[in-house]
Amino acid sequence: MKKRHEQKLIILSIGLFIAFSIPISLLFNSEKEVFGYPMLLVYVFAVWMLSIIISFVIVKKYDE
Amino acid sequence: MSSFALFIVVLIYLALLFLVAHLAEKKKSKIWINNPYIYALSLAVYCTAWTYYGSIGVAATSGLNYLPVYIGPIVVVPAWIYINTRIVRISRVNKISSLADFISLRYGNSRSFSAIITLVCFFAIIPYIGLQIKAISETFHLVTETKISPNILTDSGTFVVVLIAVFSSYYGTRYVDASEKRLGIISAIALESFLKLFFIIILGLFVIYYAFDGFSDLYQKASQFPDFKAKNTFNGIEGAMNWMVLCMISGTAICILPRQFHTAIVENRQEKHIKTAIWFFPLYLLIFTVFIFPIAWGGRLIFNGQNVNPEFYSILIPQHFDNTLITVFVFLGGLSSSISMIIISAITLSIMLSNNLIIPYGLLGKFKAENETQNTRNITNIRKFSIFGLIIVAFAFYKYFILKTSLDSVGLISFVIIAQLAPAFFGAIFWRRGSYKGAVAGLSAGLIICYFGLIIPQYYFSYNSELKGILRDLYNAFQFFDISFLTRIPEIFFWSVLVNTALFTILSVSMKGNYRERNFAELYVDIDKYIQNHENAFIWRGTAYVSDIQNILERFLGKKKTEQAMRIFNIKYNIDSQTETADSRFIKFSENLLAGRIGTASAKILIEGVTKEDKISLKEVLNILEESKENITLNKKLTEKSEELKQLSSDLSTANENLIVKDRQKDDFLDSVAHELRTPITAIRSAGEILADDDDIPLDIKREFLNNIITESDRLSEIINDILYLDKLQHGEIALNIQENNIIETYKKALNPIFHLIQQKFIHVSEVDLLNDYLFKYDEARFIQLFQNILGNALKFTDEQGIIQTKFSQKDDNLVIKIFNTGKNIPDEDLKLIFDKFYQSKNQNIRKPTGSGLGLAISKKITEAHSGNIKAENSGLGVTFTITLPMKNIVDDNTEPEGFNFNSPG
Repeated sequence: MKKRHEQKLIILSIGLFIAFSIPISLLFNSEKEVFGYPMLLVYVFAVWMLSIIISFVIVKKYDE
Repeated sequence: MSSFALFIVVLIYLALLFLVAHLAEKKKSKIWINNPYIYALSLAVYCTAWTYYGSIGVAATSGLNYLPVYIGPIVVVPAWIYINTRIVRISRVNKISSLADFISLRYGNSRSFSAIITLVCFFAIIPYIGLQIKAISETFHLVTETKISPNILTDSGTFVVVLIAVFSSYYGTRYVDASEKRLGIISAIALESFLKLFFIIILGLFVIYYAFDGFSDLYQKASQFPDFKAKNTFNGIEGAMNWMVLCMISGTAICILPRQFHTAIVENRQEKHIKTAIWFFPLYLLIFTVFIFPIAWGGRLIFNGQNVNPEFYSILIPQHFDNTLITVFVFLGGLSSSISMIIISAITLSIMLSNNLIIPYGLLGKFKAENETQNTRNITNIRKFSIFGLIIVAFAFYKYFILKTSLDSVGLISFVIIAQLAPAFFGAIFWRRGSYKGAVAGLSAGLIICYFGLIIPQYYFSYNSELKGILRDLYNAFQFFDISFLTRIPEIFFWSVLVNTALFTILSVSMKGNYRERNFAELYVDIDKYIQNHENAFIWRGTAYVSDIQNILERFLGKKKTEQAMRIFNIKYNIDSQTETADSRFIKFSENLLAGRIGTASAKILIEGVTKEDKISLKEVLNILEESKENITLNKKLTEKSEELKQLSSDLSTANENLIVKDRQKDDFLDSVAHELRTPITAIRSAGEILADDDDIPLDIKREFLNNIITESDRLSEIINDILYLDKLQHGEIALNIQENNIIETYKKALNPIFHLIQQKFIHVSEVDLLNDYLFKYDEARFIQLFQNILGNALKFTDEQGIIQTKFSQKDDNLVIKIFNTGKNIPDEDLKLIFDKFYQSKNQNIRKPTGSGLGLAISKKITEAHSGNIKAENSGLGVTFTITLPMKNIVDDNTEPEGFNFNSPG
């Protein structure tokens, strides 16, 4: 894998850290419900899902 | 369920693991070795009984705090592409077999540091293993609905533990070289990872669809709890802060936990497997975590108001519904998570204990005197007993210390202690200046804080109800540092890692490093540069003899393996096998050979014992490294250049070969020309001679001779014309007069002059027309020649009453003309050669009786001039010539040629 594509994954890692940290995580700290479920749980699992998809795409697309 | 029945189930289950381990070990087929999913699944050894039971307890009692254990890893995992790839490379070139080796080698390959790290891991992991045993034992009693027996010897949980200890010590020590891959055990772990996921999915579905009416029903009921909303949000900024620190703790743990290091680094068979793990592992954790929520809340709903331990909801729920099968499934899932953790932790701890503590501090002297078989047996035995011992110690720990505490807190304390290695660990890969003294000082300070902050409060209260005496004063004195908005574990993590990192960095920059340390620092940080010839990067100066080192190697590797290794080394560096003195490369090479068996620190001590090293200053080391770095770049360039040259010279030699072939062809051509010219000349000359010598020849014979002379002269001039024509074609001197023509008409024009010859032999000529268009762009005169050559050729070889058939068709934008004639086949090896000038078959029977022998060569040139091609092939009873012309010459005109009468002559 080229350095550039490796760096995409590292940026993903930093992005995830920010997404789960204060203050971003606090934005979703609400008693409201999204799709009928607690907003924070939906947020956490959505980001988690997304990160799997992004890493899968990067790994498969730029595999050499 | 009775104890005995469950015990049998456990036995069968362990037998299955034995079988998988045995098969993988024995087969060693590519499917096992190259499988990235075995690697990715084996990483799931991260999910222990703590995940399986503990997280559910946390989710039910304290809400979202169960998530950080999984969020931390998924944040770090994408960066593995960089971090783990490098660690894998460093470990591979240095034959690193454990976490202690990895860190201590970087800080100057220090024996004491590796021993400290081993002890840290030992004390952090033993309670963690104890935790697993606690889970096994308690769930065993839960499923069998028995009480834990106060006597260890009669407690059924004890037998299960002993079984596991035997399994791990047998399979964990198959190789004396600890850096060797243990495919068998890893495959068994991967299977267990799969099973535990499978069982928790079954349980999750059971809870959602059997115990409740689907997820929305469960959710609806659970949201009636007054604390439901509070448990699914952060408790303000404080809650979010704690949550974040917990994520950081688990994020560090996923990289540094000895069992994770073992599965991710030591057992990495191929670097590219890391890529699969990057998406697969978070996916695994996601599936695992998704089911925690419904199980926890389902448990609370079912056991509302009853006094049960929420950590065991997963067993209690199916038991509540009297479903023995799922209860046993869940138990086996928990058993899997516990066993895999116990096995891997015990193996890696035993390697550390033997290579970093027992051997370097006790048995090295003994080993020096023994022979190879003895040493191998001793090393394996040390590891075997330590694995067994470790599990037993952990069992004792569980029995006497952690009976009362929860799974979650014990696990997190282990994480925080292990996190103390983080500054030294990450410093090793990223920071050249990090020094031994800084690392040790930071680690010690961090450990002291953990001891007073976490361990005493956790275990002290197992025996005392409140703090007393000095201890109380001590805690009062430190009250100032309490961070009110963090809970105990995040707080201690913060302070310990802060002090640890501060000491590590400040001491590292304020003191001059040791040259050996700096040497390894360069090798670690710049691993990509040194990966090919890492032995060059090791700097050593002094006197050493090959024979002394060889002697040491033989004691551990045996005579045969040592000689084999030395031969490889000599070939790699192009060294004469008679060389007596050893250089730095050989010393590093030998240390590597020993490192897997006895650890890097002991390897260094052994080699130091037989060599004499001269002092070297740090400045010198840096200079040499700088030079060697330049050399490596230079080397790379040189290699590239030499590759280029090699390519060039191979091109040249191909060109040369081509020329030789051409030259020979030219000679052959000249021979053929001379031969072909001589035949008619001989005929002419002999006829002329007869006519000149004898005046009395009857008139009619005289006329015949004169006619012969004329025919032969014609043939001669035909040959010469053909040669000249071919030459012009070849050099492109003949301009093609390309115009739109009707291909069938052209064919007819070619056929007419030879039609009477065909009729004389009673040959049947026919055409098959599959064309849509008839108008094509080509040089008509050349095409007439082309058809005549091929038809003439066909005519020569077709027996009387034979068939010549021409087929016109279009295929894939090409005009295809196939001319078939019955007659003898062309030998396969000649099919391509017949288009050569003056082709003469080896088979004299089908040698052309007349003609210049240039007809087919000319035909080939003509088709090539029209950017088409021609080929001959044997088909059934005769030979087919196929002419293919690209359609781009076709005119877009579909008008049928008027009045064209297409009948078959002959």
